[in-house]
Amino acid sequence: MLRSLLEAFLNLFRPIRTHRYPAEEIVLPSGYRGLIEYGIDACIFCDKCEKVCPPGAILFYQNEDGTKTYRYNPWLCIYCGECVRACPKPEEALWQSETKQLSALKEDGANEGWFVWEAACKQSREAYATVKKSAKIQNKSEE
Amino acid sequence: MKKIETTLSTLLRDIGAFYIPKLWHFLSVNGIDLGEGKIELQWIFSAYGVKDEIVIYYVLSDYNTPVPSLVSLIPSAIMGEREIVDMFGLTVDGAESGLYLDEDSRTHPLRGES
Amino acid sequence: MKKTIQIPLGSQHISLLEPIRFKFECENEKIIGVDADVGFVHRGVELACTRSFEFKQVGYVVARVCGLCAITHSLSYTLAVEKLLGYVANDRIKYLRMLMVELDRIHSHMLCLAHTAENAGFEALFMQIMGDRELIMDVQEAISGNRVQFDYISIGGVNRDLTPELVALTHKNLGLLSEKIDALIGLFDNNWSLSLKYKGVGVLSLEEAYTYNALGPLARAAGLATDVRAETSDFPYEALGYTMILESTGDIHARNFVRLREIVNSIAMCRNIIENLPIGEIQEKAKGKPNGEAVVRVEAPRGELFYLVRGSGQNMLDRVRIKTPTFSAIPAMMEVFKGAEYADAPAILASFDPCMSCTAK
Repeated sequence: MLRSLLEAFLNLFRPIRTHRYPAEEIVLPSGYRGLIEYGIDACIFCDKCEKVCPPGAILFYQNEDGTKTYRYNPWLCIYCGECVRACPKPEEALWQSETKQLSALKEDGANEGWFVWEAACKQSREAYATVKKSAKIQNKSEE
Repeated sequence: MKKIETTLSTLLRDIGAFYIPKLWHFLSVNGIDLGEGKIELQWIFSAYGVKDEIVIYYVLSDYNTPVPSLVSLIPSAIMGEREIVDMFGLTVDGAESGLYLDEDSRTHPLRGES
Repeated sequence: MKKTIQIPLGSQHISLLEPIRFKFECENEKIIGVDADVGFVHRGVELACTRSFEFKQVGYVVARVCGLCAITHSLSYTLAVEKLLGYVANDRIKYLRMLMVELDRIHSHMLCLAHTAENAGFEALFMQIMGDRELIMDVQEAISGNRVQFDYISIGGVNRDLTPELVALTHKNLGLLSEKIDALIGLFDNNWSLSLKYKGVGVLSLEEAYTYNALGPLARAAGLATDVRAETSDFPYEALGYTMILESTGDIHARNFVRLREIVNSIAMCRNIIENLPIGEIQEKAKGKPNGEAVVRVEAPRGELFYLVRGSGQNMLDRVRIKTPTFSAIPAMMEVFKGAEYADAPAILASFDPCMSCTAK
């Protein structure tokens, strides 16, 4: 009883346990898993990252001329880093940064916008596949 | 891991002869959908204090046959039985639906299309 | 005239941490019957694992079953798949996995102790334990790169290695924590008002523990010698100084003490692991597709976690069965409530350390 009273009295002079957050910044340890970043120059478009991504946060849009466009949804991403481990050229084409993603605003279209993009990607692939197929058939008939 | 096949009619007798509360820890009831209206039901036990000793009693059955309840032998089996009632739409005597789903739910998530 | 009254507790209640609803049948202040409803947060994880995700991705899906024991879920699943692929991890991978699981056990036990203190009316002790718990959370964050969802274990190894700075940080924080745990043991043992709330309250006898298949700290507090760490040979626990902690009285006090002494044991094991870390690769190739059936048991902080995985040589698995510790402890919990005072119910419930999001998965 006396000891706890003494403790309580001494606590008046001890430093506080909590962080004064906005005034005093909380330091994150190095190696914090943040956003996935992409370098278009080194990418070889093997689609490995797209295939391994558990939530499907990386998608490639198939353009008509055969090239692909990378698209990434930071609000769907679970930051596991599986795509970086699958990438044949990590550090150059795909790497994990220590930047934090802020919450999505309505303008970002984190849900609806992404659904539209998903459907567009799927459609672009199917369209490209049919174009290729018909080109193949045409080539064969020409031969 | 040891797997022993049994039938629904002899299940209570088999497990009654096998299960001694101080030797065996009852893990769970499990169901696996095999397609075409068939299901494999498993009752899983592990031994206290022995390394890697797991015994599985299994029954090949279908969705329409009622499953006997083990609650008279193992009171804690009620949770697993209520779970398979919900997830597979089986009938187990004494086990109510409504553990995870609504009581009157007509769909059973893990039940295969038949 | 009806002699009993029904008092509901939950699913939202000021002293409840989890979405669970109890219907207590009370005679005056005494509880004579209990009915529990646990399925408020069912998300269909078992179905998602077999319909929506390939087997390499499922490890990250099952980690989302529970926030506190995320690492044990992904570990059990990974072990099951590795058994099916016929892959055996090297010692360094095993040690790093064990390190994370033991750190997880320390902070989960501390959370439970804090909530038990809070529900018995000791708000300041709650704050103090939660503050000390940050030491372990910091280590985990530094090792894995995230505070709650570690995503540390993947099929074929672990995702990050221990650097010398991390070893130093772990040593420092474990040293700081072990002093605080010693002080807590003294407090929980000697404080008179804590003993009023804990000693002889919520008793589970050894007989009941056997009958209702109690597990984890709940069983060990009643004197039932069961611990998956001693019953499986997946990890070299004995070599690293594992001892089984047993109490005999089976009340809240005994459960608190099992947790406190397991924290001490886990701290010693963590130190052994980082001092004797073998050399080796942290990520190896595990090739093939899962074919067959494998069962894995892992001791989660709350008790035994069981996974059954069946695959047929394809990318999609046939069945992932998750049996979580709280799920099978519920019959034993309901037994403890019978005969207790209604006013003790929140403290008894907190001492079970229930995890409803595990249970309903």
